[in-house]
Amino acid sequence: MNVAATTDGTQEGTDAPAAPLARRRRPGPVAMAVSFFGELLITAGLILGLFVVYSLWWTNVVADRKADKEADRVRDGWSHQATGPGALNTKNGIGFLHVPAMKNGEILVEKGTSTSVLNNGVAGYYTDPVKAALPMTGKKGNFTLAAHRDGHGAKFHNIDKLRKGDPIVFETKDKWYVYKVYDILDETSKYNVKVLSQIPKESGKTKAGHYITLTTCTPVYTSRYRYVVWGELVRVDKVDSNRTPPKELR
Amino acid sequence: MYGWIWRHLPGNAWVKALISLALVLLVVYVLFQYVFPWAEPLLPFNDVTVDNQ
Repeated sequence: MNVAATTDGTQEGTDAPAAPLARRRRPGPVAMAVSFFGELLITAGLILGLFVVYSLWWTNVVADRKADKEADRVRDGWSHQATGPGALNTKNGIGFLHVPAMKNGEILVEKGTSTSVLNNGVAGYYTDPVKAALPMTGKKGNFTLAAHRDGHGAKFHNIDKLRKGDPIVFETKDKWYVYKVYDILDETSKYNVKVLSQIPKESGKTKAGHYITLTTCTPVYTSRYRYVVWGELVRVDKVDSNRTPPKELR
Repeated sequence: MYGWIWRHLPGNAWVKALISLALVLLVVYVLFQYVFPWAEPLLPFNDVTVDNQ
């Protein structure tokens, strides 16, 4: 060991004196063990640090890239495909959510709330445990959505910026559905599936109507509780040829 | 550990540094591409839905 180190160390130096070599004596076994353990700790710290970088930055990069591509496909499909029977194609996303208070542009909405869907930087509508009522059907019910608070696009990161009365606009191929926030639950158990009911009683509603529910995790960076925002449909605008957004988005 | 790796890399200090850099990048790549995506669902940071589970 010592010899190997000596030859390595002196490969470049033409005449390395003997003195520094003597100082580089092999440390005792205890010192070796301690330094090895220390290096392991440093490595663990670096890996944890990298994991933070991964979850808060890299997953956003990947998810946004995917979501942008998917959104382009949806818009492309809207402009080329003629309306006909079965025009509702739920495979590629059904529309876009615009929440001006969250200041993050448009959020693609796709079917399902599994990790594989939400990790693509989109909002998903619930199919389980309670099926969301899609606004395009025109039926009364609750349009329930979920998206990530942090990482993977973090589409609902600013959900706490929403106040009562703020607009939530859902855009489909030919309609703008304008909702207004009427109640917020800033902390609830993750088992509280009642918030997804077609008539969300916890928000004070007792009659069937056209509701929208946004759910995500809270507080930020953890999944301890769920944050819920309820909105009610105010009006439906037809999309014109220029796709002029409703006044809430201007 | 790191000292041992450094001593066993070939070449002079510059070559060693380059190889070390490549090794570090490889480790970061493997972590980001395989290890972290595997570990993430096991950690309680990113469950956003309300459900019965």
